[in-house]
Amino acid sequence: MNVLADFYAAHSKLIDQVGIDALLALSLSISLQAGQLALAQAAFMGVAAYISAVLALNAHWTLLPAMLVATLCSTIVAGLLALPVRRLRGIFLAIATIAFGEIVRIVANNLAISGGAEGLSGIPPDATTPWIYGTLVIVSTGLWFFSRTKFALAIALVREDESAARGVGVDVGLVRFTTLAIGGAIAGLAGALYAHSNFFITPADFGFGRMEQILVWCVIGGITSPLGAAIGAALLTILPEAIRALADYRDFVNGIILLVVVLFAPRGLAGIRLGKRR
Amino acid sequence: MKRPVFFAFALAATCALIPTAVVGPSLAATTKGPAAGKTVKVGVIADVTGSAAVYGVQQKDAYELANDDLKSGLLDAGGANLSFDVEDAASDGNQVANLFQKFTTDGTALILGPTLSGEARKGDPIAVAAKTAVVGTSTTADGITSLGPCVFRVSLSEAQVVPATVAHTKAVWKYKTAAIIYGDDNAFTKTDGDIFKTQLEKAGVSIVDTETFHVGDKDFAASLTKIKAAKPDVIVLGALAEEAEKIIQQASTLGIKTHMMGGNGLNSTKIYDYAGPAAAGVVVGAAWSINGNYTGNKSFVERFKKRYGVEPDQFGAQAYAAAQLVAQLVKEGKATKDEMCPALRELRVAQTVLGPIAFDPGRDVNAAPVILQIEKGGFAYFH
Amino acid sequence: MVGQQLVNGLFLGAVYALFAIGYTLVFGVLDILNLAHAAIFMLAAFATWSLLGAGLPFWLAAPIAIAGAGVLGIVLDRIAFAPLRRRAAPNLIPLISSIGMAIIFGAIARGIYGPDERQFALAFLQTPPLHAGPLTFTIVQLVILGSAIAFMLGLAWVMRATALGRAIRAVAEDRVAAALLGIDLERTIGATFFIASALGGLAGILTALQYNSVQIDMGGQIELKGLAVIVLGGMGSITGAVIGGFVIGMVETLAVAFGLSEWRDAISYGVMFLILIVRPTGLFGKRSLRTA
Repeated sequence: MNVLADFYAAHSKLIDQVGIDALLALSLSISLQAGQLALAQAAFMGVAAYISAVLALNAHWTLLPAMLVATLCSTIVAGLLALPVRRLRGIFLAIATIAFGEIVRIVANNLAISGGAEGLSGIPPDATTPWIYGTLVIVSTGLWFFSRTKFALAIALVREDESAARGVGVDVGLVRFTTLAIGGAIAGLAGALYAHSNFFITPADFGFGRMEQILVWCVIGGITSPLGAAIGAALLTILPEAIRALADYRDFVNGIILLVVVLFAPRGLAGIRLGKRR
Repeated sequence: MKRPVFFAFALAATCALIPTAVVGPSLAATTKGPAAGKTVKVGVIADVTGSAAVYGVQQKDAYELANDDLKSGLLDAGGANLSFDVEDAASDGNQVANLFQKFTTDGTALILGPTLSGEARKGDPIAVAAKTAVVGTSTTADGITSLGPCVFRVSLSEAQVVPATVAHTKAVWKYKTAAIIYGDDNAFTKTDGDIFKTQLEKAGVSIVDTETFHVGDKDFAASLTKIKAAKPDVIVLGALAEEAEKIIQQASTLGIKTHMMGGNGLNSTKIYDYAGPAAAGVVVGAAWSINGNYTGNKSFVERFKKRYGVEPDQFGAQAYAAAQLVAQLVKEGKATKDEMCPALRELRVAQTVLGPIAFDPGRDVNAAPVILQIEKGGFAYFH
Repeated sequence: MVGQQLVNGLFLGAVYALFAIGYTLVFGVLDILNLAHAAIFMLAAFATWSLLGAGLPFWLAAPIAIAGAGVLGIVLDRIAFAPLRRRAAPNLIPLISSIGMAIIFGAIARGIYGPDERQFALAFLQTPPLHAGPLTFTIVQLVILGSAIAFMLGLAWVMRATALGRAIRAVAEDRVAAALLGIDLERTIGATFFIASALGGLAGILTALQYNSVQIDMGGQIELKGLAVIVLGGMGSITGAVIGGFVIGMVETLAVAFGLSEWRDAISYGVMFLILIVRPTGLFGKRSLRTA
């Protein structure tokens, strides 16, 4: 037991990071399961991170209420985003959501309440490992039950063949809206947890770089598999620490791994079939 | 009783009389301090790769040079086995946190770094909770040292330097209006801009135009055109070297001949390398001068240049100064985590390439800023 | 002052336009967003710097680097995209693949050159600026403007008047039909990558000249701006890329001129977002909305 305690003491930060990154990957995975390349998770994460941080710093809220309110906000933002982009598909949707993400980041950079470029400091570190993994377990369980519903079937159908889905009476708009909103909610939870375990947040934490990372995790793990996405996130979060000995070559190795997986294991590590090419 | 003492004294005196230059640096006097033979691990967290690599590489280079100097005796750690373990945080907040955790759980005595103020805000609290002392060498934002009772820094903050810069330049240039151009998406440049604005207004100067830019911008023509139209008596740059050099050069291209000044970020010879004569005369409020005569500074600059092919900049100098400080502490016998913090607090003075330094009650460095003026070949003191 | 600002916007736009042409070409033909384009942009600038350092004159170093960029584009396609084409992978995968290649290219550049910024020690960069009345600009800026226009015209000619150009347009229109018509797909795609990457390399060299700065991060900002340009201009349309480039350059410059400098990028992204909502095909895009 002492070995475990020591291991935890030396690696708790990494363990927490894995949990949060897994949540982020799950949030994107939902949209990808509906075939939506909606790349705004980093922005949803940022909105929730800032709101929960401001509530904690200015109004002294504790973690749970701050997290819930922040998540509500990020879900609303996601729902609001779903509206204007409802007719966009594929790469067009991707670019629109990336643009949205950048705008959110710039807004956070210019407002006084978010601290601007100097960010928000001194956030109480309430989000300990039990909170993070507790949330992860609840979200995962929820998603598992959700995957057993008829709605989940509709989602898969929309991904595989949208016109066929419409043909059998699936409300495609509702499917896309719901997946985006759920994604926004999960990313929001991750954002609040992130703020409350990192002491300090800054707009750059939630920009295109972060979004690229989340996308890479999902692709490596398997686009349509939530479990795969979570595993992808875990592996790639641990990777820089695991190959620390490689010093300056870490970046290079990162790129090679990405390339190798994409070229030789296109279904990702979880090996689930991707949607048909249109 | 007397004879052994006399004998020891004579022996010591004789040793002290041997000119170290004649014998060579490898036999330079490494005294035997109370920590002789002990291993002292000092962890360095620096952004060797990633967006802050330009600064992190200088820091890494400085510490590796320090490691060499410890081996050769140029830096004296009193016979202790002191080494600086430089780890790359890749400008990634997560890695910063992980490195802080590593260094607070593996027997490291002291942490130096991290490179950026934002990273300090993320990582220092971890060290504070573990009661490991942290000495920042490039973190200059507000509120860093107040993160904990064992968080120190050897880097003069903008809040400490800018008032002197404004006072000196106003006395000589006697300006009444100013324009400020600063980076709004970088904590350092934004703080710089804000502090200059406050200090100028306090000095009775009116700000006729404020422009912002983003890190990585290369084209400042639009902002400079606006500034030119506002006809300020002085232009203030809240910028780091990469942007500052372009602002200065593009201003010159547009025919702007106004006095210019800036903060720590401009303390780099790269600016004259890039902008040439257009940069001559720009005033820099800095923490170190490459031409300074302080302890070992000239030799440090030479050795750095010889080993790496480039000159050290302020980041490199401040890192090396921290190494000198640590070597001094270790020489005095401080070897463990618990001894470092009180030793830093009680430090009377350390002689470094930055000059003599000590810490004020807030654990910020107590040192005098230098007001420099860019000129061909380096910097001159501003009069 | 307004005149000078318009001139500023013009030159900024020319840089964006040059970069966007290569971007939009690959997208038009292959429906792929090549995120390694910015890396080639950067590598070509460094290659020129190295060649100059080795003693070659500029008029030799630049074309070699540009051709090298073109070849690198073909290599990029062979490694990262061609295998996926054979497997009919959905378009998300090539995007990730290009990210992987971008990381690798970046790591190589960093390994060779380090994070410091380099300058060109070229005499013509030191010539004093020119004046036309109250307006100021440099020779380099004129060269960039001239190059953008010249290459757009050149490319338009290639696309319209040569067999290769017709083949590229056919493949862009309908890949299956083009193959049925006997067009060699892989050769055409290879040629597309060569042209697109050579143009990206040219943009990199000219940008490096414009600001006398070669640095491993130099592609970062322009990558996202390039997206805004091709969305505005219409993805797949070369004319759109050029006009879009100038418009975005102008919008950014005027944003600063009107005191909105901290919102400058947000305005560009906002324009991008609005175009996608209201008219996804942009100003000149002819293709209808394609699904992933």
